[in-house]
Amino acid sequence: MSIDLSIFTNYGPQLLLGFWMTVKIVVAAIILGMPFGLVLALGRRSRLKLLRVLSASFIEVFRNTPFIIQVFMFFYVLPFYGLHLPAVYVGVVALAAFGSAYFAEVIRGGIDAVAKGQLESARATGMSDWQAMRYIVLPQTLPIILPAMTNQTLSLVKESAILSTITVGELTMAAITVQGETFRPFEAFIMVALLYWALNETLAIIMRRVERKVSKRSGSGSRAKAVRAAPAAKEG
Amino acid sequence: MAAGSETKDNFLEMTEIRKSFGSMTVLHDVSLSVSQGEVICIIGPSGCGKSTLLRTANWLTPADGGEVRLAGELVGAVPDARSVSAQTKDLNALRARVGMVFQNFNVWPHLSVLENVVCSQMVVAKRSRSEAEKQALAALAEVGLDDKKSEWPDNLSGGQKQRLAIARVLAMDPVLVLMDEPTSALDPELVSGVLNVLKRLAEKGMTMIIVTHELGFASSVADRVVFMEEGRIVEEGAPDVILQTPKTERLKLFLEKLSITAFKPNSDNAGHPTMDSGS
Repeated sequence: MSIDLSIFTNYGPQLLLGFWMTVKIVVAAIILGMPFGLVLALGRRSRLKLLRVLSASFIEVFRNTPFIIQVFMFFYVLPFYGLHLPAVYVGVVALAAFGSAYFAEVIRGGIDAVAKGQLESARATGMSDWQAMRYIVLPQTLPIILPAMTNQTLSLVKESAILSTITVGELTMAAITVQGETFRPFEAFIMVALLYWALNETLAIIMRRVERKVSKRSGSGSRAKAVRAAPAAKEG
Repeated sequence: MAAGSETKDNFLEMTEIRKSFGSMTVLHDVSLSVSQGEVICIIGPSGCGKSTLLRTANWLTPADGGEVRLAGELVGAVPDARSVSAQTKDLNALRARVGMVFQNFNVWPHLSVLENVVCSQMVVAKRSRSEAEKQALAALAEVGLDDKKSEWPDNLSGGQKQRLAIARVLAMDPVLVLMDEPTSALDPELVSGVLNVLKRLAEKGMTMIIVTHELGFASSVADRVVFMEEGRIVEEGAPDVILQTPKTERLKLFLEKLSITAFKPNSDNAGHPTMDSGS
């Protein structure tokens, strides 16, 4: 099978348009999903039982069902209840909801990894639970969770391809269209594969930089490691 | 000692404090009252409930029964077995005035030495940055850490970390300081530096409750020593009385285990402030 290079030049702009849509959707999903993930993580350790149950249920449902089913639920089921949203919005909301469940679990793990004594000593100086989280625990959580948060972000980029099934004009959708018009699946899909790869590789490089910066800012390089090792040493 | 004519009785009043963890009762209706300016050392074998008692004083561990009052103000109370713990509406404001020092220091590793002392002043006491820094530097000087203000806590020794934790407490202008085995996690050669800081605090009239294994320190600094065993106060009184002429068999046994003989005035080792706690 020979490669028809003209497809790259003729359909490149169309694919780039899809790529741009993918970037916008993922960025929007992260902007919505990360803070909501934090809310869910804090909700799970709330004093209010209702909040704990709601957060836990949300996380479990979105973590344990296929993303494509979630997308179908949002896209095909909501209109039955009178909620008609453009496919793009549905896609962003579905991706944010799915992502937030994973972000929440990563953040929760990070909070648990910070020694209990840190929260206690903050409370003992008179900080409220939220203040202790905000000023003492969460900043220490950041260097611990960054690698896992990066992983979740990369997988969100890949999961966004599923939104092509509900007519969102993102990168995969563009590839399918190009393939349908040209009957050249190899050229179409190799291009989108490269574009996804380029996007994720760029994200990974940026996040590695951020990780280095964060661990430098929080003192010696061994900081994150020390925090992780601390809980075991605190017992007794 | 600090107990002078200005002593205000019943500054901290803990009445019939009861606490269980699961089926194990760690505090059996323990009552303790502390006067203003008094320094109390709580001693006793591990697991006797002394740390738990200390932690109910600022309701960090809510009791299952009893009542705690500070300067007449309710800290927390459990009126009867069925009711949930009632606590002061503003427990956080109260805790801001009650300092607590932990065995494991619990300094905040993501903040510089100075910021460790500044943080709660700004967040809790709502002081301006300049005021908080001024207070922080004074507190750091008090514990001999003013030259370390830009260091990260990870670069401090254990003794320095604990002195930082004490500075963090002092900067909040506490009316009462609770110390949970402040020297137990330290290497032996670092203990005296921390004890000297505590001694200076005691001389300045700070009201303190110190859970400790350092009997030498207790005998020289405490106004009253409280001996606890199995969730009860077994004996309490002036340190020289308690430590040298214990009335109960249990305390005698405990002191023997810690080779208290070193503290008898006639003994060869008399005067050595610290001793091996055997832990």
